[in-house]
Amino acid sequence: MPQVTIDGQVYDFEGGSKLLQFCLDHGLELPHFCYHPALSIPANCRQCLVEVGMPVKDRQTGELKRNEDGSPVIQFFPKLQTSCSVDLADGMVVKTHRTSDLVARAQEDNLEFLLINHPLDCPICDQAGHCPLQIQAYKYGPEGSRFEFRKVHKPKRVRLGPRVMLDAERCINCTRCTRFTDEVSKSHQLTIISRGVKNYPMTPPNTEFDEPYSMNVVDICPVGALTAVDARFKARIWEMSSTPSITTANAKGSNCFYWVRDNLVMKVTPRTNMAVNEFWLPDEDRLDYHRFNDDRPEGPQVRTDAGLVPVSWEQAYDRAAALLQGVDPARVLFLGSAYATVEDNYLLAQLAQALGAEAPRYIPHVEPGHGDGWLRTDDRTPNAQGCERLGILPVDEALVQARLADGEIAAVYVLEDDPVAAGLFTAAQLADIPVVLHHYNTTNQTLAAADVALPAATVVETIGTYVNCDGRAQRVRPAKAIRGVNRTLMMEMGKTRADQHGTPFDRWYNEAHQVDCKPGWESLPGVAERLGHAFRFKGPKQIMQQVAERVPAFAGATYEAMGLTGVQLADIGETV
Amino acid sequence: MEANNGQTKAGDWRTYQRVLLPPVKDLHRLDVYEQHGGYTALRTVLTDARWEPKAVTEEVKASGLRGRGGAGFSTGLKWSFMPPVDDRPRYLCCNGDESEPGTFKDRQLMEYNPHLVFEGILIACYAMSINTCYLYVRGEYADWISHMERELEKLYAKGYVGENIMGTGFSTDIVIHKGAGAYICGEESSLMESLEGKRAYPRIKPPFPAQKGLWGYPTTINNVETLACVPLIINNGAAWYAGIGAERHPGPVLYGISGHVNKPGVYEYPTGMLITDLIYEVCGGIRGGKKLKAVVPGGSSTPVLRADQIEGVTMDAESLREAGSMMGTAGMLVMDEDTDMVSFLRRVTHFYHHESCGQCTPCREGTGWLENLVTRIDEGEGHLRDLDLLLDLCTQMEGRTVCALADAAAWPVRHTIQRFREEFEARCKPSVFPTGDGAPAEAVPAS
Ligand SMILES: Cc1cc2nc3c(=O)[nH]c(=O)nc-3n(C[C@H](O)[C@H](O)[C@H](O)COP(=O)(O)O)c2cc1C
Ligand code: SF4
Ligand code: SF4
Ligand code: FES
Repeated sequence: MPQVTIDGQVYDFEGGSKLLQFCLDHGLELPHFCYHPALSIPANCRQCLVEVGMPVKDRQTGELKRNEDGSPVIQFFPKLQTSCSVDLADGMVVKTHRTSDLVARAQEDNLEFLLINHPLDCPICDQAGHCPLQIQAYKYGPEGSRFEFRKVHKPKRVRLGPRVMLDAERCINCTRCTRFTDEVSKSHQLTIISRGVKNYPMTPPNTEFDEPYSMNVVDICPVGALTAVDARFKARIWEMSSTPSITTANAKGSNCFYWVRDNLVMKVTPRTNMAVNEFWLPDEDRLDYHRFNDDRPEGPQVRTDAGLVPVSWEQAYDRAAALLQGVDPARVLFLGSAYATVEDNYLLAQLAQALGAEAPRYIPHVEPGHGDGWLRTDDRTPNAQGCERLGILPVDEALVQARLADGEIAAVYVLEDDPVAAGLFTAAQLADIPVVLHHYNTTNQTLAAADVALPAATVVETIGTYVNCDGRAQRVRPAKAIRGVNRTLMMEMGKTRADQHGTPFDRWYNEAHQVDCKPGWESLPGVAERLGHAFRFKGPKQIMQQVAERVPAFAGATYEAMGLTGVQLADIGETV
Repeated sequence: MEANNGQTKAGDWRTYQRVLLPPVKDLHRLDVYEQHGGYTALRTVLTDARWEPKAVTEEVKASGLRGRGGAGFSTGLKWSFMPPVDDRPRYLCCNGDESEPGTFKDRQLMEYNPHLVFEGILIACYAMSINTCYLYVRGEYADWISHMERELEKLYAKGYVGENIMGTGFSTDIVIHKGAGAYICGEESSLMESLEGKRAYPRIKPPFPAQKGLWGYPTTINNVETLACVPLIINNGAAWYAGIGAERHPGPVLYGISGHVNKPGVYEYPTGMLITDLIYEVCGGIRGGKKLKAVVPGGSSTPVLRADQIEGVTMDAESLREAGSMMGTAGMLVMDEDTDMVSFLRRVTHFYHHESCGQCTPCREGTGWLENLVTRIDEGEGHLRDLDLLLDLCTQMEGRTVCALADAAAWPVRHTIQRFREEFEARCKPSVFPTGDGAPAEAVPAS
């Protein structure tokens, strides 16, 4: 197998790889800015310089020339090489800053250059704390600067588009952003303008940077030059804890981190999963977090003559059970939810079955033309596939209306959806029918007709499984605490969570902004128990274990198997 | 003069007959050019079975022709890097961006002998089996561009360019492309980006243009003057060409001489001429009878030589390398004893600062810093330590960038300071002052 020697250590390699990527893959950090694994290689930042040598061959014989001790004679390139652009070759010998003073000095020199015209406004920069320039300047840069002149001034606070702001002075001209728009999103909405030290990225005249993936440039910008209009100045990176999860604005299930401070989600960033979203997130996924913070219910309610009034969870369960007990199970319409987890839908199906009712149906939320064949889909829900695989099929609106007209529907049980807003019923049609509603937000229009309202935990507050449009089962994890859940029951919800750098900043026991809601896998058993059906699960993990064992379409989808990147389920054929 | 006692390798330049810019009236016109033997070289290679495309390349290689665009690379060798013909397009780019300060010789060819350039292009295309050549000319040469476009039209009309040239079945188009005014567009990979309609950011090499050039296809880039030599080589043979001027850097060359000489201008002579002959004989000596102070031999990026360094030095790559400089474009800047070297360097650093494309860090940031420092020294506000810093910055830039512009910016700084250090030191603020009456407030006593 071909070999490369890096700082005296020999590594085998297979296939073609760039030297920098190979080093990073093997835990050998090399400072760099412009290189990004998903983009072309311009080698323009000049930060990743190393010494590279090759064995010398005898011109006549083609044999390797050898030193007296038998080792091959190595000839080093006269110039330092950018490791990001160098292809590995058999016998190559590399010296990084760890073994070469020349390289260490060159990296330091380059950082000195990068900083001379940089505003050094880290104290007010959103990137500070997770800024490649800041981090690498501390690690590899010079102690001070010998620059004694006025810095070059460039435009600041430029709105490139509705969602992205530019501070051109912070820009180090790595061209990652323009390469993203040229090569990945192909919107071609950004280019570098001007020349030399006045360069910065800009949109062509009279255009806006408004493509549906624009905010990705904020993550890949190695400095704070590009910031999200939505998140600017809201929270420092070290004040937030990040939790690996998935987004739910569409059916793609793109992998993400939810960034939380004091139980409020502050931003959403992509998490690399080469099988799903690679390095990227659509803007709609990033902006889909305000509903986790705003318009949240404050505990369960039941309807009295005075309207909906707050009650305890026990009282709410009692009332829900009483309503269901009073009617013929065959006339109860159970609605599952493509917004809810597989576990919650499974429990609902179990409940319907235990009562002798028909299997639940779910309301599809499909917006034809919204999808782009990439990370946005026509389906605006995250778990339609999960429902289908459980045998929960799309609701037939005409049939529901016919049954309603025939008086065939005596009660409606809704898991985390809004049938009134979806147009399945009008609120008036439900006025005389008992309705139990699990709901995320107080904006839910079905609340007007609900007799029991059970606040539900959202994707950032629960544990569970979603199946994306491609049949990939993926887990979500609680990113923020809610009231009334026994934390120790919530696996992997420790007493404290460390932020990226190990500081236990955002504490689970911080009471601020905790919503009084419950995940379905807590509230559904509460109702079921009062109807005489005890669901004996220790938690969602066990539920999923059972689903994986009993439902063939979920074979293999255990929490262990899903891990952080999910498992691909066997194809089940056509679905909506 | 020493010139006659064998020191010059240029032979007897006094009797040299011009071939690139022969003294023929209206030679720029197609009819006149043809009356003087124009396009016979093209006709010969296209019709004579002896001239397989490969044979043309071999002939150019044998002539010893080295590129006139600055780097002095063997032209025949460069052509032989083109991969074997396949079904992909192949391109030739003729580089007429001519923007290096002190360089104005390609313009002379465009004005007085454009057909020699066209003929050279066509032969080069034949030699490398290329069907399209882009002639990239700096936008400021607007007049010369329209002048050449007129002549090119005549060539198309006559069937010397385009489909089925001279009825031989060989076809090549020539497209004249007007640059938009950036020095960096003359760098070959950046020229190709510019042709592709992109920002003229130089590309990293490898891959080299012969592998992946214009639009990703095999491409060769040659300077205007380089290609103008090609018909001469075909007509007169490689041996004839190799016998002109310096042995390892032969041929006629256009010396563009500017500065403090009595007769500045573009002069055609063999390579390998004594610098002193060029200044004192060809250009009539230093203006006003002053003494020579410094010479920049080949465009602003080539290292400056002090008057005492040019004795016996000839204009060819080898002799100039020994002397500590380079041939570059043979655009020679001559400076007399009154020249302020600090101010000279300030102007040079300003140019490279202004022209850095800004793609890579050391060049984008370094060129401006160099100008800042030299300006400060020029204005009497500099410190002695600034000189060491300048040299440090050169080290931080040289050889660490995508293209050679950073080197071109650093070399003049390094060499002008090294070769005129006292002059720079004298301009800096003293770092120690005499104490006692009249010493400035910040004075530190000399110990
Ligand atoms: C910054 C920079 C500017 C250049 N400008 C020119 C130019 O204006 N004209 C030119 O012929 N070559 C220029 N060159 C050299 C070209 O890159 C290339 O080497 C040359 O055109 C090749 O032609 P030749 O082999 O015939 O000399 C420049 C190089 C650099 C690094
Ligand atoms: S804005 Fe950021 S990503 Fe874009 S070129 Fe500048 S530093 Fe690079
Ligand atoms: S060296 Fe200068 S001109 Fe050349 S690519 Fe880099 S920044 Fe541009
Ligand atoms: S990472 Fe920028 S040059 Fe290699």
